[in-house]
Amino acid sequence: MATSSILLPLWLSFKLSVVTTGVLLVVGALLAHLLVYRSVPARSVVESLITLPMVLPPTVLGFYLLVVMGPKGTLGAAWQGLTGSSLLFTFTGIVIASIVYSLPFAVQPLKAAFARIDRRLLENAAVLGLSPMAIFFRVVVPNSLAGFTAASILVFLHTMGEFGTILMVGGSVPGETRVASIAIFEAVEALRYRDAWIMSLVLALTSFVFLIVVNRITGKDANAVAG
Amino acid sequence: MRIGMLLLAVLILVPALSGHGSDQKITAGCAANFMVPFGEITALFEKETGIKVEPVFTSSGKLYAQIVSGAPYDIFLSADEERPAKLFRDGLVEKPFVYAKGEVVLWSADTKICGTGNWVSAVRAANIQKIAIANPETAPYGAAAMTALKSVNLADQLKDKLVYPQDIGQAFQYAFTGSVDAGFCAMSSALTEQGKKGCFLAVDQAPPIVQSACVLTKAANRRDAQRFAEFLLTSEALKIKEKYGYK
Repeated sequence: MATSSILLPLWLSFKLSVVTTGVLLVVGALLAHLLVYRSVPARSVVESLITLPMVLPPTVLGFYLLVVMGPKGTLGAAWQGLTGSSLLFTFTGIVIASIVYSLPFAVQPLKAAFARIDRRLLENAAVLGLSPMAIFFRVVVPNSLAGFTAASILVFLHTMGEFGTILMVGGSVPGETRVASIAIFEAVEALRYRDAWIMSLVLALTSFVFLIVVNRITGKDANAVAG
Repeated sequence: MRIGMLLLAVLILVPALSGHGSDQKITAGCAANFMVPFGEITALFEKETGIKVEPVFTSSGKLYAQIVSGAPYDIFLSADEERPAKLFRDGLVEKPFVYAKGEVVLWSADTKICGTGNWVSAVRAANIQKIAIANPETAPYGAAAMTALKSVNLADQLKDKLVYPQDIGQAFQYAFTGSVDAGFCAMSSALTEQGKKGCFLAVDQAPPIVQSACVLTKAANRRDAQRFAEFLLTSEALKIKEKYGYK
């Protein structure tokens, strides 16, 4: 009982962060690529939308997600039709919430990294006959590894610390949506301070170590990005 | 610069100090199930005595933890007897008294779900995918519902359907919006205007909920808090409590 009330939430937070980071590296790279190299209609609107989750109160984001992913919401209804099950209060549901919540933390560092690549490099590659896909994987990605590292660590840590949004759409189901931040909140409220101490310490140490790593690997670049 | 700071201090302090002295006010930590009758009772109390009651609504367990940590409430309305009794033993509150007896029901926004007439068959039905039960660790109504589930050996079987809101109010909110198919709620929620839009089934296996209240020994406004405590037991207050299914 005691171990599962500590280890299960920590494991769940870790799993959520890994999945979210994986998805956001792909989605973030795609969006950053479009924003840096293509002409995007209403660019300022699109960029603001992507940055919005960074400045919105997590409860506002959580409330919107609760409505959209609910049984009467567009996403919730479509999901129900496709899979026959509810999206709220499931692991998939909090993955979607985390993707929205951490989106700017993936897009911003990648955008900065892509923008720093020398255009002539890309033009040379195109002249040499590389397809756009090949240019992306053989020129853009190897030249923006610092950006990818910064993006993955920032998204990972931001998701580990996610609280307000998950509180609203998660429903605190053990092993499914009761992540460490929620479990700490509930442990404190139930006066289980020992559990809260252990989980908090693990989260604090993880964040600290990862930030040291990100500083070591990317040096000035990431500092500028993480700001 | 110095004058600016002084001005700032005056601007902050003056309203804070004057607000304190001019009107009578007590702060109440109230279990979420009692939210609606509490609002009506305090409105009446305010009209009769001029004393304002400012409530904080959440689960009894959370309020208990806050009081242990020194939260500045004047009175605590719990949804159980154990927590006020424990606070009394620790010298944090005056002698607790019972102010209401509540009941757990299974509530659903979908009136078809109550067609079975029996909560056990309702929660077992295949079309019920998610059921809200307030966190049993901190919410007495959630704990009572969990007792009921265990008594019919369904706690394990329904594990994948259960969702754990933070308090009984959130449980009703999840059920009311259809975010869950049904929720273990307080009878009082089922009898509100919103509650009447859905349907409810009695949960006989859940123990009746005896709710105690107590005035904090460190209350900033102890006299008014005691007055409110007495008011909770008057016939006027009783009428409101009965309207929402309390005994």
